[in-house]
Amino acid sequence: MGLVASGKAPKPLTKLLNLSRKYSIWMYQWGLACCAIEMGAVIGSPRYDVMRLGVIPFPASPRQADLVVISGTVTDKMVPSILRLYEQMPDPKYVISMGSCANCGGPYWDSYSVTKGIDQIIPVDVYVPGCPPRPEALLEGIVLLQERIGNEDPAVRWKGGPIVVD
Amino acid sequence: MSSTETGADAEAGAQPDRRREDWADKMADALGEGCLEHHIIPGSDLWVRVTRDSWTGAATAARDRLGCAFFDWLSAIDWLPSPYGRDMDAQEDNPEPRAAGATEQGYAGGETRFQMVMRLYSVTDHLGITIKADLPDGDLSIDTLIPIFAGANWHEREAWEMFGIRFNGHPDLRNIYLPGEFEGNPLRKDFPLLARRVKPWPGIVDVELFPGEEDS
Amino acid sequence: MTASGTDQRQQLAYVAAQAADARLNVEIETEGMTLNIGPQHPATHGTLRLVARLDGEQVVEAEPIMGYMHRGYEKLAEVRTYPQITTLINRIDWLGSFANEVPFILAAEKLMEVEAPPRAQWIRTALFELSRIANITLFLGDMAVQLGAVTPVFMAFRDREFVLNQIEAATGGRFHPNFDRIGGLKDDLPRGWIEDTKQAMEKMRNFCDEFEELVLGNEIFQARCRGIGIVPPEVGLAYGLSGANVRASGVDWDLRRDGQEALAYDQIDWRVWTHPDGDSFARYWVRLQETREATHMVDQLLDGLPPGPIMAKVPRIIKVPGGEAYAATENPLGEMGYYIVSKGDLVPFRVKIRSASFSNMSITPWLLKGVYVPDIITILASLYFILGDIDR
Repeated sequence: MGLVASGKAPKPLTKLLNLSRKYSIWMYQWGLACCAIEMGAVIGSPRYDVMRLGVIPFPASPRQADLVVISGTVTDKMVPSILRLYEQMPDPKYVISMGSCANCGGPYWDSYSVTKGIDQIIPVDVYVPGCPPRPEALLEGIVLLQERIGNEDPAVRWKGGPIVVD
Repeated sequence: MSSTETGADAEAGAQPDRRREDWADKMADALGEGCLEHHIIPGSDLWVRVTRDSWTGAATAARDRLGCAFFDWLSAIDWLPSPYGRDMDAQEDNPEPRAAGATEQGYAGGETRFQMVMRLYSVTDHLGITIKADLPDGDLSIDTLIPIFAGANWHEREAWEMFGIRFNGHPDLRNIYLPGEFEGNPLRKDFPLLARRVKPWPGIVDVELFPGEEDS
Repeated sequence: MTASGTDQRQQLAYVAAQAADARLNVEIETEGMTLNIGPQHPATHGTLRLVARLDGEQVVEAEPIMGYMHRGYEKLAEVRTYPQITTLINRIDWLGSFANEVPFILAAEKLMEVEAPPRAQWIRTALFELSRIANITLFLGDMAVQLGAVTPVFMAFRDREFVLNQIEAATGGRFHPNFDRIGGLKDDLPRGWIEDTKQAMEKMRNFCDEFEELVLGNEIFQARCRGIGIVPPEVGLAYGLSGANVRASGVDWDLRRDGQEALAYDQIDWRVWTHPDGDSFARYWVRLQETREATHMVDQLLDGLPPGPIMAKVPRIIKVPGGEAYAATENPLGEMGYYIVSKGDLVPFRVKIRSASFSNMSITPWLLKGVYVPDIITILASLYFILGDIDR
């Protein structure tokens, strides 16, 4: 992928690459609290069924994942694990922050143990608001992410750095 | 509830009341000097305050004499009035400490700042008892209940973490919730919520009166 | 260089000898190892971390490590007004949210000496049972998926939606209704809700029947659950186990029947299910029967719904008079109670939350001692905990 990483890929090739990337997202689910159940409904419930969007849940490990959905309350005790997970994912990687708690602390904005927003630790691509967001809202978030992937320049994302493993 | 049902409730309430008095008598009988005070709300609940030395004795007596085999919960109360004002939204950094002695304890009385609370329940009589014990201010420690109720283990770890109360004889007294490097005991009244100190919340009174409405 | 090379060779020879002996040693003695599951692992459904010291495949010692979901409820409750707290406590046990509000409201009503009108009590009870169904349904599917049967969890998610729809139709909240008020309820039921709910209950009864055959009747499921994780009743009570966990050990105790809270349970016809075995199978069985019982209870509650107001007279700004009160109800996971200490302010002075899963989980170090690794999953699943309910 030297061509892509150097940013010299021709436009049609980039388009094709983005098209294939956006409809084959491996989604790693980092379910933490209430939102995890709604994410479970997105994955497990026949009514919502995330796979019709070309998203494949349940990768065997974060090292195979393109997308991680951080859903739920992130506590200070949990932060090191999330950071480690993020570092293990290969580039290009995307993050959806699901629910008010992961976005900004939500109802626990004044708590002594809750991290006020996951974006303090890792970069977030799409914020899904709600407490918890309905399953439809997460689906909308995934569609927005797909739009973003479709329009971006892969070279920016494709840093090509090594996967950091502790 | 209609009036007849309320009457029925009152009758049903009167009966466990005698049972609760009976329970309080049994506790006083078992502990002697160790049982300080009790408080009964008819048809609702029973509180017994014991000395710190009778803490484990009270648990044994409740289990063996009253049949309270079910360990409900254990915790503590910090009776210090919050130095940060009623709602933690005070802005000044060094709020004036309240006058000493302003502390007032709840049912069954109390003398010191920290008070242990434990609740036990009888699954055959369907009655519960709340047992309290004062901790002297200089020495926040009390005997562990693990030999009597094994379930006290985690509750005591929680009380240790939240209030800094030491349990003599507890095998594994370390943080249960918070990371090891966390400083302070969050449920103490003088533990500030920093997010609130930085930015007070306007929503503490969440009901705005309509025009022309009287405050009731 | 040569010295270290020799050392290395010697070490390699030693390792090789050990490996050769391993086949002989395996029957006699094995090296201990420490197995770390979590803090994020599907098998622990939530952010529980379990550290188990193993000898071969047997657990020598297991310890759950909690706190990855600790949000500090008891401290936050001290700085919020009573109506604001109900918003917060919805999120303790996030599967049966409405059931979390009820004991808190009851405790506050006890302090204020307010009683909700009968219609409000009946609707409360009906919604309480609906949230029980919504909660336990997921358990019924989830335990099966943890034991290797994938289909039931999809069916559970599918059928659970019928109940969630009804909760949403009545309260406006799919997950966190925040519908209970001190002195009554926010609103009356919408038109046509009762018929829809009865239809949904019919579907849930079918769901229970299906699961009774599909999961409980499954030989593999039985083989993995029968006789695994037996809780003797007296040990369970000393650890503070409540709800279906002790009823599966033969303790005939249900706060819905035996408690003193003013809900409508004493005015309908239902029974408490118990099982004498106390193993994982019994816990699943009891919960399945309770779900079916709950559907019948909802039907009866909706049939007998008394007319009248849904809100008692309470001041607009709620100041709870000083005092202490404890109220507990039989939540989907077990006994949930709130001990409120009030000093007559807008905010409570201290709220102690007695959540069921915290006590239910405290038995795990005792229960996991000496079991095999696959049984860890069975036992954890059958005890049924929700992380928010442990850590609060």
